[in-house]
Amino acid sequence: MIVGALDGLLVADFSRVLAGPLAAMTLGDLGADVVKVEPPGGDETRGWMPPVDAEGRSTYFLSVNRNKRSVALDLKDEDGLALARELVSRVDVVIENFRPGTMARFGLDYDSVSEGNPGVIYCSISGFGEGEGAALPGYDPLVEAVSGLMSVTGPADGEASKVGVAVVDVIAGMNAATGILALLHRRDQTGEGGRLTVDLLSSALAGLANQSSAFLSTGESPKRFGNVHPSIEPFSTFAAADGPLMICAGNDAQFRSLCEVLGLDEAAGDSRYETNADRVENRDALREAIETALAEREVAHWAAVLNAAGVPAGPVNDIEGGYRMAGELGLDPVDEFEGVRTPASPIGLVGEPPGTRLPPPELDQHGDEIRAWLAGDG
Amino acid sequence: MGVLDGILVADFSRVLAGPLASMTLGDLGADVVKVEPPEGDDTRAFVPPADDRGRATYYLTVNRNKRSVVLDLKDEGDLALARELADRADILIENYRPDTMGRFGLDYDSVSKGNPGIVYCSISGFGENGGRHLPGFDPLVEAVSGLMSVTGQPDGEPTKVGVAVVDVMTGQNAVISILAALLARDETGRGQKVSVNLLSTALAATENHGSSYLATGISPSRTGNVHSSVAPFETFSTSEGPMMVCAGNQREFAHLLEALELEELADDERFRTNADRVANRDALHELISAHIGSRSRDDWVELFHEKGVPAGPVNSIEAGFELAEKLGLDPIDETDGTRSPASPLGLTETPTETRSGPPGLDEHGDEIRAWLGGS
Repeated sequence: MIVGALDGLLVADFSRVLAGPLAAMTLGDLGADVVKVEPPGGDETRGWMPPVDAEGRSTYFLSVNRNKRSVALDLKDEDGLALARELVSRVDVVIENFRPGTMARFGLDYDSVSEGNPGVIYCSISGFGEGEGAALPGYDPLVEAVSGLMSVTGPADGEASKVGVAVVDVIAGMNAATGILALLHRRDQTGEGGRLTVDLLSSALAGLANQSSAFLSTGESPKRFGNVHPSIEPFSTFAAADGPLMICAGNDAQFRSLCEVLGLDEAAGDSRYETNADRVENRDALREAIETALAEREVAHWAAVLNAAGVPAGPVNDIEGGYRMAGELGLDPVDEFEGVRTPASPIGLVGEPPGTRLPPPELDQHGDEIRAWLAGDG
Repeated sequence: MGVLDGILVADFSRVLAGPLASMTLGDLGADVVKVEPPEGDDTRAFVPPADDRGRATYYLTVNRNKRSVVLDLKDEGDLALARELADRADILIENYRPDTMGRFGLDYDSVSKGNPGIVYCSISGFGENGGRHLPGFDPLVEAVSGLMSVTGQPDGEPTKVGVAVVDVMTGQNAVISILAALLARDETGRGQKVSVNLLSTALAATENHGSSYLATGISPSRTGNVHSSVAPFETFSTSEGPMMVCAGNQREFAHLLEALELEELADDERFRTNADRVANRDALHELISAHIGSRSRDDWVELFHEKGVPAGPVNSIEAGFELAEKLGLDPIDETDGTRSPASPLGLTETPTETRSGPPGLDEHGDEIRAWLGGS
């Protein structure tokens, strides 16, 4: 029996789609008991398909809902609402991502909940905060667009591109988990609960890290560079005989090793390529020389010999290739539980590793036991 | 009063993931001691761009709320101070290649002997097993994880994300791991080692794509700026540039049709449910695109917002900050004249706060060495 870091902690998860459910699943992975409260129609991602698994379930839903029990409660129904209120009076953590104001309409907002449950940690996730942006819905692609994330993703001469996964949702979900855990630690010290708000736009801007700082310090918005790094060369994809190869030569020694492996003896001694700054300035000529050499062999060959020579390099894998590689490296990237395969938790607590106790639930799968428990004495 | 007041962090990490993790702990109130080699964190040299004082903006991003001390681990006296720091710390963060900290007697087994409560976080590129010697550069992990394979236009190249997003998410996972271990310590008094790596983080972050591959055996492909499972959820061209429109449910789709004055499409069997719209997305995209030309992008965004349709322009980063300002999100942290993205953690009663801007190299060296050298 694995002991989780959050064993004994009870979470009421009123959230839907990705950011909130990811935060709740993270707490569940760490040992918390997560009760997923769904409207009678269920979390909308149950209907986001294709793709589906062998049993016809949306893989989108499956990705962020393990380690939860599901109960369907209609908050517009008096009995359903009474049970929801009972639930929040018993829990350690509430997570919700309704539009700001919705939980208050049901008397389920922080002020109402904390009156009877002063130790509660209450996390609200929104798209654009609870002020002027309260009415705006928070969809990841919309926030990727308006935050500037898309503006720096994609080829320099091509379209601004969305990231291939709802990365702002993921980052916001992780911020929610971070804030909740920090407040739980404080509760351990002081006994006090607290409230946390996370929004997608702030998460995106903070997640833009150095790109954001570049703008904030210089007043100039960074541009798209495609797969080339604006300040390091060679540090991007290059065409080999059968596809693109990522090479990350981050310093002069790695660059010289790269030249040696590729047989570019002239380039190694060329004053145009002496320092990284030189290589960035003369990148077009350098890239041509590298690609001419790479055209001789396949990606797999080059990745092997470059890594052996200490030059970081690898293929541009599909997702299957990513999982295969992680498996080969002993990272156990797949969580398989009762036949449901999901991406394993990346949270590596060596003493108390996250564990899976429940697969993603069917809608209201645990409804009877949860309703009975809420209707009875705690 | 910060949530982590009184917690001492020894930060031996460099570049992005580790420093982001330790800055997050600092934002929450922890005292972070940034231990740097004599030449400093690599990112101090990542210029351009630089701020008006010539400092690398890359470094400034993830190093506020820290004190800097230079300790040369190859020097006996400095190494003794580093060990003293690890002995006194609640949390240690490092992202050297596996084995490096062990060579200096600063690995978890050595540190926890004298400091059993330590939460010791190692961040690596590919874990501490078969990939222990592989270097962890974000673009390399974006490539090998499959993240690039799903990013970009369907007829174009696999594309890197415009920020080191795997580094960012790995830093976040480090914080989550550390805080969970701290909570376990609150119960048991014992610390533990926590390990996060870039590849596992990238794969976990593929979420629905990862699940889709794991359930079907089929790797998702690039869909450009459309969503693989929802429609319409994509960019449309306007004369002022692309605009993102996201109709995530029936209600928003109905509002969209109303705004476009295309209500008759609600009864079109090709577009009745989300699954229908995904199956016929090209036809739907074309029908909508044909109407978009009649107004400017700003007009459309305003109209869509009135009607309750999620939509917005594809902004520059500057416009992103402007929007956040307009919405009252206080997206900019300005301390001692240094501007960096504000903490996205909104703790309402015990908010994150900035007590100091990013330190100069060894800025707090004398006070820290004196403290470690004394009793």
